[in-house]
Amino acid sequence: MTELKLAQNFSMIALNAQNSLHMTTVKKVALRCMAAAVILEAYLDSIFTQTEDKLILHNDILDQTNIMPYRKIILKPLLHKNDEAGGKLEWWLKKASMLSNSHLIKFEHTIANSLKQTDLLQEIPNLLGCDLYYNSSGVTIREYRSNVQEYTRIAENLRAELLEDGAVTDETICMIWLLRESGCMHDLFSQNELEKVAARMDQLYQRDSLAKAVFPIRIHRGIEIAIKGFLHMKKKIMKIPFASGVNFAFPVLERSQSVFIDTEAWFSNADKRLDDVRARLESNGHAFTVLQEGQIPLIKIDNIVYMAIPQAIYSRVPIHGVRLLPKRPI
Amino acid sequence: MSRQRSMETILTSDFISIGELVRLTNCRYSTLKFYTEENMLPFEQAEEKLTRRYKREETVARILLIKKLKIDGLSIPQIKEILNKDK
Repeated sequence: MTELKLAQNFSMIALNAQNSLHMTTVKKVALRCMAAAVILEAYLDSIFTQTEDKLILHNDILDQTNIMPYRKIILKPLLHKNDEAGGKLEWWLKKASMLSNSHLIKFEHTIANSLKQTDLLQEIPNLLGCDLYYNSSGVTIREYRSNVQEYTRIAENLRAELLEDGAVTDETICMIWLLRESGCMHDLFSQNELEKVAARMDQLYQRDSLAKAVFPIRIHRGIEIAIKGFLHMKKKIMKIPFASGVNFAFPVLERSQSVFIDTEAWFSNADKRLDDVRARLESNGHAFTVLQEGQIPLIKIDNIVYMAIPQAIYSRVPIHGVRLLPKRPI
Repeated sequence: MSRQRSMETILTSDFISIGELVRLTNCRYSTLKFYTEENMLPFEQAEEKLTRRYKREETVARILLIKKLKIDGLSIPQIKEILNKDK
């Protein structure tokens, strides 16, 4: 059993299902908060020297041999070659969350690699990469997948501490703040639980000094959270059978839920179509099983069942193929 | 302010919280809460609204037994009966 630090724990939740090769708005929201998690982790580990209301960080901390590589990547640009830097906790958190894209990418790779080395994170192909438009233009799409057991352990421990009466640890206070700022609350708590969590946060704010210091700080950017919320809502709506039908006709609404795979020949029969789908899935490294053959085969790809419906799309020339639609209810 | 206890400390403690039980057994919080409410997992609580404390060794052994009985195909009422006999 691996003991993870706060930033690693939060990264396991924040990086899960994120595009691993490209910088998306949603991933940027996660990375900003992961950078802030590093500051909180350092704060909890008493790396800062506290003077009145300021937290001072000395440059020599970067020369320590046992410093975590991801921590060094965040702290180094904040020190700016100075001997020391100082500010309130809010100042440090905001500075870390506003690091440039190149710093955030470097940080992402470092922390993802450290988790990959312990088999806690892996990169898997995304089905969208099989779509005609992506495949023919050479765009590969891969995503992060956190180790299910470790993800569950982190999430359930958090739920247990927050939803149960009694003391709450500092790590949990920091995690709940990070989840709020990254817009990940809905991933871990149901609508009913969110009300309890809100009440618990109020209670913590009144009783706990760390919660009092951290909860009022805002590092999220409204526009990014709004985009994240919109994309989340769009994907959720497409799970309704009616919306799924609309998405079949207008896949541009949510392409990830309506993947088109082109076939080699026009008017090919069901078997040939299935062979072409198989070939595309194999070339992109997907694990799949054909559950049912026939005119509309059922294929289980990465644990989700899809219907492969024959379709032709029309651009300059008609292109025949199949559209993969998630089968609902599963 | 209180820090999260390391796994090493948890493994040497006599009493642990439900969150620590989650970390030790890989069970879901809702599952453990259900077992607790069904009186399948005994706990101690100094006062209402304070942390429920579980005896580590005894509770972990119980959870493992419940898991095994579930794999054997027993229902929750049957498992409760077996646990009550063991008391």
